[in-house]
Amino acid sequence: MSQALILLTYFSLEGWLRFRRYRIPARRRIRAKFAALVGDERGPLLICANHLTLIDSLVIQWALAPGWRLFVRPAWFTWNLADKHNITKNVFVRILGYLGKCVPVLRKGPPEEARHTLDKVAFLLSRGQSVLVFPEGRRSRVGRVDTENFTYGVGRIVQETPSARVLCVFARGLGQREYGNYPRPQETFFVRLKRCAPTTAFRGMRGDRDLATQIVGQLSEMEQEYFENAILDR
Amino acid sequence: MDTKTAFGKIVSIIKPFVKNTTAFGTATDGTRIIEDLGVNSARLVDIILAFEDEFGIEVDDESADRVRTLGDAVQMILQKTAPAH
Repeated sequence: MSQALILLTYFSLEGWLRFRRYRIPARRRIRAKFAALVGDERGPLLICANHLTLIDSLVIQWALAPGWRLFVRPAWFTWNLADKHNITKNVFVRILGYLGKCVPVLRKGPPEEARHTLDKVAFLLSRGQSVLVFPEGRRSRVGRVDTENFTYGVGRIVQETPSARVLCVFARGLGQREYGNYPRPQETFFVRLKRCAPTTAFRGMRGDRDLATQIVGQLSEMEQEYFENAILDR
Repeated sequence: MDTKTAFGKIVSIIKPFVKNTTAFGTATDGTRIIEDLGVNSARLVDIILAFEDEFGIEVDDESADRVRTLGDAVQMILQKTAPAH
């Protein structure tokens, strides 16, 4: 039943992305790389991505695995942390948010709320699920990976689930200049994956900051590579 | 350490993170760090870690969560730096 729902959701989302004429030319290569990086290992997977538009998680899910593979490996249909405001606007997006495995996040909420969300993520990871997070904490206001103003929540997640594998994903539309709601129609996406193994000698908040800094630093490095070599990937 | 000294040190630590400089100029114990001073909530962690470094204390998550105003920060620091009897 759950696999059927995943397939239904996936193909609906894929259909919408195709309707908008979005393209990921290197999709096959990316999917092969994802399968190689994650392999047959079961267990928690934390996917950390840069964030520029409201549909980044859809694009990334589309890039990582085809529908049939999600049927076989439903854990690869990732949970997402989505702004509660954005996924409760109306009944339609509520249903989509539910089917799309969104964990609502109350932005600018009290610290207890943030901690509660992180507990949910830790729980999902402890059940061997994959979770997609945006370590910057919001769509980057500077149009690049924001290495100055990012949150440290991802560091807490890594500390609480040390067995989680961390995969950094850099995704960006070739025409994306700054952050926005949606990429331009007919956008072509560049997607790169890299395994990351952040470690820290610190504990608590200092550890959170150290780990989050390493992950955001990795994303920033991937972005630099993109700006240096993107033309070769088309 | 007295309240005034702690308050002065806290204010100087928070200063680089403040967006609302007008409210900062008239800050009191009751000034809320996020709402009134416009400090980004994500930067609260940096502020707490700076408290740890400045005052040689350790702040756990629960204590950090209770810091909403400058007065809360002063109380927490006085409590943690008070000599044990």
